[in-house]
Amino acid sequence: MSKRETLLRRLSAAQFALWELHLYLNTHPTDLEALAMHEQYEVKCARLRGEYEEKYGPLSPMKGEGAQWLQNPWPWDPTEDDG
Amino acid sequence: MWQYEKKLQYPVKIKNPNPKLAQIIITQYGGPDGELGASLRYLSQRFAMPWAELKGLLTDIGTEELGHLEMIGAIVYQLTRNLSMEQIKAGGFDAYFVDHTTGVYPSSAAGVPFTAAYLQSKGDVLTDLHENLAAEQKARTTYDNILRFVDDPDVADPIKFLREREIVHYQRFGEGLRLATDRLDSKNFYAFNPSFDKK
Repeated sequence: MSKRETLLRRLSAAQFALWELHLYLNTHPTDLEALAMHEQYEVKCARLRGEYEEKYGPLSPMKGEGAQWLQNPWPWDPTEDDG
Repeated sequence: MWQYEKKLQYPVKIKNPNPKLAQIIITQYGGPDGELGASLRYLSQRFAMPWAELKGLLTDIGTEELGHLEMIGAIVYQLTRNLSMEQIKAGGFDAYFVDHTTGVYPSSAAGVPFTAAYLQSKGDVLTDLHENLAAEQKARTTYDNILRFVDDPDVADPIKFLREREIVHYQRFGEGLRLATDRLDSKNFYAFNPSFDKK
């Protein structure tokens, strides 16, 4: 697996945990333990996302323009183009 | 509004094409219990929800389903790359191919185009939540059935992830239903429709 993919998977894992907590908090909005975990994962996601975007380009269209935004790979592309 | 994120919720990386499997899996793109119907169902039902927890739940799960639609599209796309005419014929992909080449089109495994008749938005909290609980189970069964045909781990891995999500969403909708009934008349949950009747 390329370095890019490894970092993307670490980010996705952290985002998944954050999202799970977010969904859970919709039906348990006062669960303090879940709220604290959510805060931890927010920090982790922001750090990994920053690291990824700095190295491999924007994940959000609000953060990149032109060639930066358009660079491959797109999410459905199966081929790895970096080492 | 929505903002795109240029990544999949869970990685899809399939090495070997398999048009037969693509034709089965596409049912979760545009079939009766697929991800397109799921997202439209939840995102449409939101407007009739009287309570914030339920507005949040439907917004978030409806949004996640759009991410799942993208994952299914990626699976179908990767399973139908670089096909020879021989592979298309041998895989029984000719009927799909003649209408769509290898473009991803929302249809069921049997080739029936997507229809909004697959979903309901009834404007009644209890009815809609029960529809959603059933929908999550129907999607879970479909993923179980898909897995009966899959022996490629590259395909099974993201399909298993999506199957798990149906179970988690079912759990959250169950909690949503409890939050709803807690706010209704415990002797008659159907005394009035909180999405419509003023009380």
